[in-house]
Amino acid sequence: MRCNLVLLLALLVFPALAAEDLLQFESAEQQQLYRQLTAELRCPKCQNQNIADSDAVVAVDMRNKTLELVRQGQSHDQVIDFMKQRYGDFVHYQPPFQLSTILLWLLPVLAVLSLAWTVFRRSKDSQTEEGEPVATSDNLTALDAELQAMIDAASQKPKE
Amino acid sequence: MIAELGHLALCFALVLSLLLTVFPLYGSYRGAAGPVLLARPIALLLFLLTSVAFGALCYSFWANDFTVLNVASNSNSLLPWYYRMTAVWGSHEGSMLLWVLMLSGWTAAVALLSNSLPLILQGRILGVLGFVNVGFYAFILLMSSPFERTLPFFPVDGRDLNPLLQDFGMIVHPPLLYMGYVGFAVSFAFAIAALLGGRFDANWARWARPWTLAAWLFLTLGIMLGSWWAYLELGWGGWWFWDPVENASLMPWLVGTALIHSLAVTEKRGTFKSWTVLLAIAAFSLSLLGAFLVRSGVLVSVHSFATDPSRGLFLLFFLLVVVGGSLLLYGLRMRAVRSQARYQLFSREVLLWGNNVFLLTATLVVFLGTLYPLFHKELGLGSISIGEPFFNSIFMYLTIPFALLLGLAPWVRWKQQQVQPLLKPLGLWLVGALVLAVGVLSMYQTPSANVALLGLLLGAWVTMATIGEIQQKAVQLGGVPGLFKLQASHWGMVLGHLGFAMLVIGIAMTKTFSVEKDVRMKIGDSVELNGYTFMLTDVYTLNGPNYGGQAAELEVFKQGERVTHLHAEKRFYHVTQSVMTEAAVHARLSRDLYVALGEELSGPSWALRVYVKPYVRWIWLGSILMSLGGLVSLLDKRYRRKRNPTAAQTGEETHA
Amino acid sequence: MRKALFYVPLAAFLALSLFLLSGLFSDPRDHGSALIEKPLPAFSLPDLQQPERMITAADLKGEVTLLNVWGLWCPTCNAELSFLTELRQQGVRIVGLYYVQPVDAAFGDSFDIKALRHDVEQKLAEQGDPYLFNIVDEKRSLIFDLGVTGAPEAFLIDRNGVIRHHHVGDINPQNWPQLQQRYQQLQEGDPDAL
Repeated sequence: MRCNLVLLLALLVFPALAAEDLLQFESAEQQQLYRQLTAELRCPKCQNQNIADSDAVVAVDMRNKTLELVRQGQSHDQVIDFMKQRYGDFVHYQPPFQLSTILLWLLPVLAVLSLAWTVFRRSKDSQTEEGEPVATSDNLTALDAELQAMIDAASQKPKE
Repeated sequence: MIAELGHLALCFALVLSLLLTVFPLYGSYRGAAGPVLLARPIALLLFLLTSVAFGALCYSFWANDFTVLNVASNSNSLLPWYYRMTAVWGSHEGSMLLWVLMLSGWTAAVALLSNSLPLILQGRILGVLGFVNVGFYAFILLMSSPFERTLPFFPVDGRDLNPLLQDFGMIVHPPLLYMGYVGFAVSFAFAIAALLGGRFDANWARWARPWTLAAWLFLTLGIMLGSWWAYLELGWGGWWFWDPVENASLMPWLVGTALIHSLAVTEKRGTFKSWTVLLAIAAFSLSLLGAFLVRSGVLVSVHSFATDPSRGLFLLFFLLVVVGGSLLLYGLRMRAVRSQARYQLFSREVLLWGNNVFLLTATLVVFLGTLYPLFHKELGLGSISIGEPFFNSIFMYLTIPFALLLGLAPWVRWKQQQVQPLLKPLGLWLVGALVLAVGVLSMYQTPSANVALLGLLLGAWVTMATIGEIQQKAVQLGGVPGLFKLQASHWGMVLGHLGFAMLVIGIAMTKTFSVEKDVRMKIGDSVELNGYTFMLTDVYTLNGPNYGGQAAELEVFKQGERVTHLHAEKRFYHVTQSVMTEAAVHARLSRDLYVALGEELSGPSWALRVYVKPYVRWIWLGSILMSLGGLVSLLDKRYRRKRNPTAAQTGEETHA
Repeated sequence: MRKALFYVPLAAFLALSLFLLSGLFSDPRDHGSALIEKPLPAFSLPDLQQPERMITAADLKGEVTLLNVWGLWCPTCNAELSFLTELRQQGVRIVGLYYVQPVDAAFGDSFDIKALRHDVEQKLAEQGDPYLFNIVDEKRSLIFDLGVTGAPEAFLIDRNGVIRHHHVGDINPQNWPQLQQRYQQLQEGDPDAL
């Protein structure tokens, strides 16, 4: 690390020059859209990277095209469709919402509902339930409980 | 010579692991103490031999022995010694050796620390662990030996370690991560042992829980380090990418979290046994699935090792035997087991279960997001990608009910709880949370900060409810001194939950309020971001041990006052001919300042990316706090008792 | 019924294993193409040998064409040239689409079509010339519209200018027979050939 105190002092004497943005946009929304798009679009050639982070030629070309389209005023969906027309659904990190992908959203909902239901069922009072064929905690007799206690006690010894 | 010794040690280790499988299981089957007691020295010797093998590989790297193929492929004489050591696990073969080192270590630990367990159970547990060991040693010896030689060729120098891995993160992240992955084999072994026996000892959950907590806390730390490392290393301020390999670590973590909570219920109340066993099987199965995904080449990832399908086939076969076998056993044996305790709808059991519902659904979401593209493609439906937009939106929806329940659960008693007494104190803490959240948010003038508000609210709610519960305990136990009566596991819970709150707040704030600028700067230029002024003061050529490139120096000011100096690098590694950014980071609790150096442009000027990332540290600090909670719970006195007390299934205690 | 539920995890796992097994034998980098059964995108690009002549999609209609994306910078493409020349001699109609690498404008580099023509002629003289003509895509505009991610890649285009197949990677004696089948089917004028 060089000591650049002299340089620093010299620079402080002169008015600080403002850096220019690498990419120019008409508005903050456009810049935000560009950022969002380059994060959501996948580089078709890389090992799982979005086009913002990749230096592959195709990623650079896609970024430039995205920039062009955003500057033209195209919307998020328009740009995504443009890219999908050329590179397929693969190039968008959000999966398409269609019949073949419906399970992506359906299964989690079903999971929450069915898992919640399992314990809801078991926690209900046994009086309000229909009779269950298998022995449940509700109709374990005192004898069964005693047997269980005997088994537990026996497990203390090394040999059964 | 040393490499051959290492290879020989692995061969002996394989034999020992076979003995470790056979003897204790036979002993348990026949009720003979002798073979079971033999397991302990076998396990210790197994660990010793594996350490020898690991040491042999370390030595080969240290001595720059390029006749060893693994060293030639992953190291270089210019590589600093500490990275030569970490290159030991920088490849598929080396990392598998690290894996078995950890596995044999956990096995030896279980063999040493299980005196209080009934001998039959010990036998079964060690037998199962032995079987898992066999699979991995066989895998290494048959298809992934790190001790292959390049002879008769003698490379003059090596191909160097991937520059991305030449970082402190590589030293700590894989070992801790593997400790976690492999540690779940122990709770898996406990579950299988219980299934083999056909019934559950009353203390089974109490014995299994500390092992599970230990594995879980290592995995938490491992994942956290991976995130932190990626943030520093990859140059654009991101800390999670939903990459398949990352997801492969998140799935066992989510299930592991559900497992430790399910174990709490089974330990306290003897119920939820079927779920606890299934979760124990699932946690380790997901670890194995992760190993398969990373090493088989089935999924494309930045992290994946270069490997061939034959390795994938072996791992898949092993997966079928271990996971398929355990799930078959589960189906056969579990239906005979019945829980005895009853509980009302509003009780801690149900709330803990409620949280597990969301943890398991989150696991399903990660699973689907990672593997659905494979299913979709194999069914001929085309190629799709699933990434951040999908995961982020769903996780946000799942976190809401999860965090709400999390705050509530410690207040609710086991078995049954009246709603009425909770309304006032919880109501007050809820209001407190709202005030805190809105107050913090008002400091930021942003029109739509919904995600931040949500995260703050949930985080504040969990914090307030957790602290409030402690306060209530203090009142019940006679003031602050009474708090010392609380068990370690209670404090573990407090720390764990506060850590989670921190994590949620960190994520929400950093996602909403992070700002960045892509600029082109000449020396002397400055850029303003969020009240901070970054001035480029110098750029010069680098001269590292095995790299060149450029470094940039910046000065940062806020309202005229100097805040700090930043040093960012763009390295060019000679041997691999690759470019790497070393971002400059200035870390504070309230925000990170982050600068990444890009390429040189005409002028001369340089492309730079400047970020201000508020609260990003909270993500990793929250994770550390969670691990600390796990550690504190682990140290609870009841796990260190020598004798097992007689089972007392129903308890009215309110601690976890 | 309750007892059967305990076997659900096993069933789910076995189903998963089938997919994993299938996945082991398929190429994870193969994403398919979005342009199958779509007409060739509109373009107007210069001929490498006669830069004044602009080639359009119409020039690729009328006969079945193998459009080969390549570049001198790509070693695999160069290795492919001799085999493609053989195919040309067998009567396959091959048109080249030259992939121009980005130039570093910041450092004063610029694209020189004359130099490129000279280098290409030299290479083709060495390895063999499979091309009827070469389309120069300086800005990679057609390449982008075709969904090309690198070189070498190839497209089978039927008489009506509709893209029927996208092949990623080089063409060699091992994979040509399958492509040849497709080519011949298209030549026989069967638009619905699979």
